[in-house]
Parts: sequence; structure tokens; C-alpha cells
Amino acid sequence: MAYLSSMFIDNELDLDEKVQFVDKIHLEQPFYQETRELLLQERLLRMPVDTRRLLPERLPLRERPRPWLKRLIQPVAYAAAGFAAAGLLLLMLVRPTPPAPAASRFVIYEPAAHQVELAGSFTDWRRMPLQPVGNSGYWELHLRLPAGEYRFAYILDGTRQVADPTLPGRERDDFGGENSILNVEGQV
Amino acid sequence: MKNGAEFYKANRERLYAYLLRMTGDLQLAADLVQESFVRYLDRYGDQKSNRALLYTIARNAALDIMRRHKADAGVEMDDHADPGTSPEQTVIDRQALTRMLMAVQQLAPMERELIALVVSADLSYREIARMLNISEANVKVKVHRARVRLREILASEAV
Repeated sequence: MAYLSSMFIDNELDLDEKVQFVDKIHLEQPFYQETRELLLQERLLRMPVDTRRLLPERLPLRERPRPWLKRLIQPVAYAAAGFAAAGLLLLMLVRPTPPAPAASRFVIYEPAAHQVELAGSFTDWRRMPLQPVGNSGYWELHLRLPAGEYRFAYILDGTRQVADPTLPGRERDDFGGENSILNVEGQV
Repeated sequence: MKNGAEFYKANRERLYAYLLRMTGDLQLAADLVQESFVRYLDRYGDQKSNRALLYTIARNAALDIMRRHKADAGVEMDDHADPGTSPEQTVIDRQALTRMLMAVQQLAPMERELIALVVSADLSYREIARMLNISEANVKVKVHRARVRLREILASEAV
């Protein structure tokens, strides 16, 4: 139970473990010594860095709808959504329809790349080119995919395979590369 | 979360601390902070606050960069210490931080990730276990081993 000292540092001890920890500190001098040294080390490890010159006050986000525009659009959007929902409900009552393919946007930030392609289980692993978004460094591709689970990766400059950094799900392929796992839910 | 700007403000310092310990590079860590937030908000919008997801995105971005730039850039410290401290203290702090960051870079990849997460991310062992796809019991043991290993590295360099 040497790791009790790390659990103590990280505030992970429950009440029983706190009792064990205090007893151990009281009875075992080497444990006390190690815990003390790790605490001093932690002070250094957690030393803050002044980030005012490194991080901007605000995140330089790409253009988003402005509030006044949102206010203007919102009532119309709600009304349209209402009509659309009523229409859809009517359609569903008449006959059930299978989910339509969903629009998927693939985006990656690769300012240094000259060419970015995508290959996935939904393209039979054939490569499809992404288009640069102006000079922003972003590359994008819009596809409509039926609902399902897919594997894919980006290929940079024809040779380098990279997984999508925004998707947590990944798995190794048979060639030593890494693919992203994409779950697409159908649009009803 | 009310919006992306607030999410950014509330999490940027901690995410920076995490990425600094992952990469050991002041400027690269700052670039990765911005990149991670842009990716997060681009894909998940600004209506959902999920710190574990933000750290997963940051981790993947950092690992991708580190894989591509295997060459060690070293740890370069500019004058980024707290401006409230004296020049002498600033120098001491800078040296201590540099030494610590270099020691962290010598840990095995999994140990470095765990140390970076526990000291910076404010995530519980359970959340870290889920994020790294290992058991919580494993996190307990590995975090402690990483700390002990770090102490050994620092002690060997002090000789």
C-alpha cells in the first residue's frame, strides 16, 4: 500500500484509507520520509507558470452567428422546425421510413500539409481528397453516411496516416497505423 | 456551460499546465491549448461542458505532434515566471521548473501522461482510468510509481 501517499496527495483517500494512512505514517519512518519528499516534489511539479503572454484572453474562434442574427433567425427557425416536426410525424404515421444518411463533416487542422486525403471503411479504403478551407490551415470534406460504425484515417501528403484528433475512439490497424472510430446516427 | 468563451476561460490554465508537462515546451503547449479548444468547440459545439473529452482531444493532439516531432526540442524557458516575484526568485523558479519539466520528459510515456493528468487536470483517478482505458487500481499503482521514478530522476541529476 505504498501508493497511499500518492492517493493522499491526489485527495483520493476514503475514510478507511485515511485511517490506514495515518497509522502507516505513525508507525513507519521510511513511509513518512517518502511521503514528505513526494509532497515537496509535488510543490515543484505543480508550480504555476504565468500564461498571460502565452495564452490569449479569448479563444480566436472562427466566425459564429452573432447574437442579433441569432435573435432574428431563431423565431423563423422555431416555426420551421415546428412545421418540419409536424410533417415528419405525419410521414411516420403513414409508413415507417429507414433512417436517411447523415451529413458528416470531416475536418482536420494541418497547415503544413500540401495534400490531405481520407480513407475509411465507408469508402472501401479508397482515398478521397479533402479541400483546404482558405488559408486557415483547415481541410474539410462533406459526406453523407448511412447510420453505422466506421473506421477511417487521414493521409497527409500521400504517406502519413493520422487518426482524427477530435475523436476519442481509436484502434490500431494491421499495418501499424491508427484509425479513428466514427459512430454515425441516422437522421430520421 | 454558458458558452465556449467561458469554457475556455475556466479551463485554459489547467489544460496548459497539462500540455506543458506532456510536451515540456512552453510555446507548443500554448499552441496546443488553442488547437484543442478549437477542435472541441468545432466538433461538439459550445453547449456541452465535458472536461474529460477536452483532455482526450488535447492528449491526442499532443501525442500526434510528439510522434511527428520525435526530435527533442528541449525545454526552453522564456521569462514567464510570476511577475510579482523578485528577479532572483524568478531565476530560481525558472531553473526549478526547467529541471522539473526535463525530468518529467524522461519518464516512460504512460508515467508522463499520468503525472501530467494528476497534477494539472483536476480529474479523479476514475476519470483518468476511463480516459486511458486502464483500471482505477492500475492508475493508483502507476501514478505512485511515476512519482517515485520522478524522485529518482531528480535525485540522480542533483548528484
